[in-house]
Amino acid sequence: MSAAKLERLLNLTALLLETPRPLSAQEIRERLRAYPEDTDAFRRAFERDKEDLRAMGVPLTVQDVPGVIPVVEGYRIPKDRYYLRDPGLTPDELAALRLAASVVRLDGLSASEGLLKLGGLVGEPGGGLGLAVGSLPGSNVGPLFGAITAQVPVRFGYRGEERTVDPYRIEFQRGRWYLSGYDHARAAERVFRLDRFDGPARALPGPRFERPAVAAPGVQLAPWQLGEGEAVEARVLVDAAQAPWIMQHLGAGAVVEERGDGSVVVGMTVTNRENFRSFVLTFLDHAEVLAPDDLRDDVVAWLEAQVGAA
Amino acid sequence: MTRRAPAVRTSASDRVARLLAMVPWIAAQDGPTVDEVCQRFALSRRKLIEDLEVLMMVGVPPYTPDTLIDVVIEGDRVWLRFAEVFARPLHLTPEQGLALVAAGSASQGLPGGELHGPLATALGKLAGVLGVDPAEAVSVTLGESHPGMLDALRTAAAEGHRVRIDYYSYGRDERTTRTVDPHAVYAQGGAWYLRGYCHKARDLRQFRVERVVDVQVLDETFDREAATATAGDAGAGAEFVPGPDVPRVTLDLAPAAAWVVETYPVDEVSDLDDGWRRVRLAVTARPWLERLLVRLGRDARVVEADDPDLLTAGPRAARRILDRYRPD
Repeated sequence: MSAAKLERLLNLTALLLETPRPLSAQEIRERLRAYPEDTDAFRRAFERDKEDLRAMGVPLTVQDVPGVIPVVEGYRIPKDRYYLRDPGLTPDELAALRLAASVVRLDGLSASEGLLKLGGLVGEPGGGLGLAVGSLPGSNVGPLFGAITAQVPVRFGYRGEERTVDPYRIEFQRGRWYLSGYDHARAAERVFRLDRFDGPARALPGPRFERPAVAAPGVQLAPWQLGEGEAVEARVLVDAAQAPWIMQHLGAGAVVEERGDGSVVVGMTVTNRENFRSFVLTFLDHAEVLAPDDLRDDVVAWLEAQVGAA
Repeated sequence: MTRRAPAVRTSASDRVARLLAMVPWIAAQDGPTVDEVCQRFALSRRKLIEDLEVLMMVGVPPYTPDTLIDVVIEGDRVWLRFAEVFARPLHLTPEQGLALVAAGSASQGLPGGELHGPLATALGKLAGVLGVDPAEAVSVTLGESHPGMLDALRTAAAEGHRVRIDYYSYGRDERTTRTVDPHAVYAQGGAWYLRGYCHKARDLRQFRVERVVDVQVLDETFDREAATATAGDAGAGAEFVPGPDVPRVTLDLAPAAAWVVETYPVDEVSDLDDGWRRVRLAVTARPWLERLLVRLGRDARVVEADDPDLLTAGPRAARRILDRYRPD
């Protein structure tokens, strides 16, 4: 990239920040005196510059130039939307953020861009021995977070259906991203898996929603809780050899009974029967659904179908 | 799966973005040293000087000297004046805010993560800028594990101490005690892993920390540097590739079972009618295949198997589980 282009983009930004009213493309061309003489070449260069600025997140707005007939589009950058409010981070805090960002990296998201804006890279990045690097994929995560902070609804295709949702919270658990929010059509809070979105989520322009006074519950998501069915309390008996594993997985609080032979009975709240069955079957013959009867019967019917198919 | 870091781009907008972040900071200081600016903004000295030279040509119309940014480099220090138009950096994009907040949230969840230190206050201050409390808007959990377990393993890896672990092997459905030289502990795909040299297997192995039932840190040490260098340790997140001597099965999968292809390494995939697919999978341990088949039920059919015993693994496992439900 040439120094001339860099200089032009900076001057364009400064001009549009300082202007008290929207400027037409022609006015910008005359004032900057940095574009090609040829009108077509100017148009192309100006379009590219606008794209570059928008790609950086510069809030370039388009409004009619006042008092001009016929109507001409004008451009400006509102200062209140451009300037980052100073969070007043201390060097210690900046260093802590940098360390955190170097330990946990998100695929496709750069933490250093944000750090530069907040005062640069301070302290040391984490590195070396035994440090964990979590790679968190998710192309929809950034735009959804934008909608959460702007408090605007989003629309997206989800398993073949259009949903409109007030987004409250995104969570990364067990290797997946989830969105929780208020589903307009169902008039209730719902949880969505981001990898099941049919495509990109679009933020809707319209009215800001109020976040509930009590924060959306920090759902401890498990596959068997990802359904829209009525919640059922299940009891599962797990053999002694597998008991430590399920206790780590569900937490010791899930244990409702410890038996003399070392086996345990755990309680699970189930809203998704398929996922529950799938989970229980991963224990093969080392686990057994004790209650309720219909969940137990469901597992039996599933296995019988498979034996019969042999 | 590891993804390579994107190639370093120095597009116009990256360079502009860096300058727009750097200018307000320099302008607010009283002559920081060139070295400090270079370090903070990850620039070489030559690049910084190039950028500052461009800056001398930037300002607002009519571009008279008093409306252009004034750059003074004296000795080893740099001053900027008349830079009021860029008095504050460009706001954080949602992606930039999220990258920081998510990293912060995840770090706080790590063993030794502080809930009241500078990271916590930094996240609190970011909340004001982002207009939403990060604690309410984002949560990142890298993996489940006993905090004590993770701590013990990470410390052992860092200090080069051998460990003895009581491990539940999911694939083989058995519990074993193993002595391991822990090379690294890392999180991937929502779970924690221990990678190291397993003395029982006499090879490198990866263990899921949540299945480590018990750990004992031994007094014996090992040379971690040498071990990782000579053992052909491919690094964190190296993908597991089953060897050619591992038996394969050929499965037909219904559309509902498509996740199998995304989850496990498959040798071949071909499309059949009605959205079904045919895949070849390596079976490193029989219980692993049984588990897969009983979960898939009629969404999977075993078509072929290197080991004929595997052909009927699914129905036989289903029968075994049924026996538990109907002891008569």
